Amino acid sequence: MPDTLAIKRISATPSALIPLNSLRSGGPVYSKLVDISKCIGCKGCEVACKEWNDLKVEQTTNFGSFQSHKDLSSNTWLLMRFNEVEVGDDLSWMIKKDACLHCEEPGCLFSCPAPGAIVQYQNGIVDFNQDHCIGCQYCVSGCPFDIPRFDKETKTVAKCNMCIDRVEAGLEPACVKTCPTNAIEWGIKEDMLALADKKLDRLRERGYEHAAIYNPGGVGGTHMMYVVPHGDRLEDYSLPAHPTASPGQLRGLNVLQRVGSYLLGFGVISAFVHFLAVGPESPEESA
Amino acid sequence: MATPLLHRFSFFERIVHWVVGVTFVVLLATGLAFAYPALFWLTTVLGGGAAARALHPQIGSLFGVGMLCMFGLWVRDMFLDGQDRAWLGAIKHYVTHDRDKVPPAGKYNAGQKLFFWVQSLLGIVFIVTGGLLWFPELFGAAWLNTARLLHYAATLGGGLFLIVHVYLGTIAYPGTARGMIEGKVTPAWAKLHHPRWSGDRVDR
Ligand code: HEM
Ligand code: SF4
Ligand code: SF4
Repeated sequence: MPDTLAIKRISATPSALIPLNSLRSGGPVYSKLVDISKCIGCKGCEVACKEWNDLKVEQTTNFGSFQSHKDLSSNTWLLMRFNEVEVGDDLSWMIKKDACLHCEEPGCLFSCPAPGAIVQYQNGIVDFNQDHCIGCQYCVSGCPFDIPRFDKETKTVAKCNMCIDRVEAGLEPACVKTCPTNAIEWGIKEDMLALADKKLDRLRERGYEHAAIYNPGGVGGTHMMYVVPHGDRLEDYSLPAHPTASPGQLRGLNVLQRVGSYLLGFGVISAFVHFLAVGPESPEESA
Repeated sequence: MATPLLHRFSFFERIVHWVVGVTFVVLLATGLAFAYPALFWLTTVLGGGAAARALHPQIGSLFGVGMLCMFGLWVRDMFLDGQDRAWLGAIKHYVTHDRDKVPPAGKYNAGQKLFFWVQSLLGIVFIVTGGLLWFPELFGAAWLNTARLLHYAATLGGGLFLIVHVYLGTIAYPGTARGMIEGKVTPAWAKLHHPRWSGDRVDR
């Protein structure tokens, strides 16, 4: 029986670069599939997320939108965003299920300096372990989707954990369970990709010629994928067209850090060698 | 020995220097801990990862104030003159202790002056990029990632220069550290390392 919680990567350990590949790998790799065209905007998923994960309720205000909250927070891990956009002469909601996409190559984990604060499982889930978090928020700038949120009280960061406690027990995440239209599906990633293809065919028949699947390669694919009716208008959904797990600056930082460790060591050794070669220069000697 | 000692650094100068020195070393230790997982244990010095993350920017602020004072105290002695340029040209004789071929230095030699300017410049980089990283909510990801890159680049530069600085100030040139601890140096030390300055002192 493969282990559903076999670990793939742990932040700030060698496994962040070379994923672990233990005997216990080979279990199912899951994915959510969000079919935006089927969402009726009921926000049941938001409520289910709060309930299952025991997240604090936040006072909301009417800011002239159908959306419940203005933004994600350390206590709001899932937010249905209702972007109002004109399509032809019509108003359209470009709905986005805003939550962690559980990237195959998680920028958050690569950025994190605290060993064990972020863990990626072989099943695709990326989870934060607040016990090891030092509150630096590097994961926030490392995430190409702007997902992790800092909690000022606990000084740690939080985000969707794909209901890992449910998945471990063989259940689907709470939002999937609750969705009345099956706009959110859950299963083995390959099956979800096949299902997405069927959905695309149907959407194209219905006239959404640019319908597309969002499973961006820049982060190695994601474990929450979207079926996007207007695939040519990703920015209207607040979906980045070319997300990357390792932006140029952080790649540069990694190179510099490696070179730097040798340079610093070399500096200390050089000083020592200089001392052995020419020794101290005392006033008494040369006077 | 009855020779009177020469006054080199005032009490305030020494306090300022050691505030900068001690805070810098603590910042270097915790900063390297954040950069290198294998060195993460260094955060223990300040009570663990979370405490180190909270204290690093606070200690950094103290470092920043120290650097400002240091700059104000010493800047007028740090401009390079003609002899300093000649000194730089002869730097290889300085390294090999070929004293006869090294043009005489004033209160600070050209290397020390350059160290001062480099550290002042890096100090600005540290403070600006560190400020961004301290309040990440206020800035976008691209800014923060750039800040991380520059903050580390400054650490590398500052760290390398610090190795040289500490080496020269302690074991390479006996009698130097005394100047930064007691504030006084021997005339022989001054004549060897800072002939033009020691001349000044004698004239006065
Ligand atoms: C903690 C280790 C350090 C030690 C042991 C140390 C030691 C010394 C000594 C002995 C001097 C006197 C040199 C002389 O009389 O000519 C000095 C001067 C000076 N120190 Fe440090 N220092 C340390 C850290 C730092 C740091 C971190 C900075 C700045 C970022 C710094 C900046 C300076 C400057 C600008 C001078 C005057 C110019 C020079 O001597 O290069 N020091 N230090
Ligand atoms: S979406 Fe952001 S927080 Fe989620 S796994 Fe990807 S990088 Fe990490
Ligand atoms: S805030 Fe926590 S989880 Fe995020 S990068 Fe820093 S230590 Fe890692």
